[in-house]
Amino acid sequence: MSRKRSNSGQILLIAAFIMASLLLSAQLYILEVGKTTGELESDSLNDFLLAMKLGSRHVVIGSLANISNGGQSGNLAGNLRKWSSLISEQYQFGKSVLTYAVKETAPYSSGIWTSWSVNGTGISSAYANFTYKLSDREVNVDQSYFMNITTAVFIESSYQTVSGDTKQVNVTISLLNEEAPALAKQIAIYYRFLDSWQIPDATNNYNILDYGNGTYIASFVANILSQNVEVSVHIVDQREIYVQANATSTQI
Amino acid sequence: MFDQKGQTRIIEAFLAIAVIFSVLLISVTFPSSPNLDRQKFLANSGTQVLIKLDANGTLGNLIMQENWTAIKRSLDILLPIGVSFNLTVYDENLRPINSQAVQNSNLLSREAVSVQYICAAQNLNVQFFVLRLQLAWTR
Repeated sequence: MSRKRSNSGQILLIAAFIMASLLLSAQLYILEVGKTTGELESDSLNDFLLAMKLGSRHVVIGSLANISNGGQSGNLAGNLRKWSSLISEQYQFGKSVLTYAVKETAPYSSGIWTSWSVNGTGISSAYANFTYKLSDREVNVDQSYFMNITTAVFIESSYQTVSGDTKQVNVTISLLNEEAPALAKQIAIYYRFLDSWQIPDATNNYNILDYGNGTYIASFVANILSQNVEVSVHIVDQREIYVQANATSTQI
Repeated sequence: MFDQKGQTRIIEAFLAIAVIFSVLLISVTFPSSPNLDRQKFLANSGTQVLIKLDANGTLGNLIMQENWTAIKRSLDILLPIGVSFNLTVYDENLRPINSQAVQNSNLLSREAVSVQYICAAQNLNVQFFVLRLQLAWTR
């Protein structure tokens, strides 16, 4: 009995040490769990991929805007080279590699297709394929995507003779971005008079109606000697992409 | 003899209390883990705001126009109330290009998170930028 009583103090101390180590390990565990940032990185990676695709889209749009306004067709590949280089320098999630290929199958050349025809249709388009690879200890990403940016304009023109050679011309214009109605930033309309293209103005009662859904109707009165009333529509869309279409008006 | 035993037990009890107390003291003085939910929310908000501004090319165009006031105003509107921010814009060679600070208050002595964003300007002359947005709660 007396031996038992003399050990009780030591047991108390041992119990205190056990409790202390339990408390400490619990505290350390809570800290370690708090440091887990896997979910945070996963969200950030998704945002990074989204930003990369947005950037790829902007590069293709900007390059098409440049080329359709007279820039070199090699500008698309040049800009994509810089973009993929910048993305490949990002190491926050691991080793990133973005590769691209501009479309070379007809009607595209160097990733660009411009068709500004006389049948009432005009197309400015760019196409590039991308492959993104990310390798890290915890995550591997292998994604392919493409960017097809197309501005298209469709025009229909009609005229009626007012008197003599004076004709009332109506031109209906439809502008599309990626097959969806789009708004124009600038519209210029021309009509052919002998061997030159003329711009109708206030003296021609020029008027253009914007329906707000990508459809515009322009009308003007002009002296045109020929029965072939040719019109040309030049458009810059909100993305600065230029497109034009020519058409011969039908008599009504 | 009985008195000595009593004193020893009192000392042992004090020692046990001291051990427990010192452990509690250590655990209280441990560096508190940062509130990850709040940090995650900040980082997500920052990235989402930049993505929203970049979605139609506005962000790149504002940078090319060096319209820092408009960028600051956009961040002021889009970020949650009570968030301080500081945005630095670098060109593709990582040279800072914003001539004036794009921030709503000083982030000094605050626990900040940093978000990096790569941006391409949708323009006739395509340019590339790296944005670093630092965010912290005001309180």
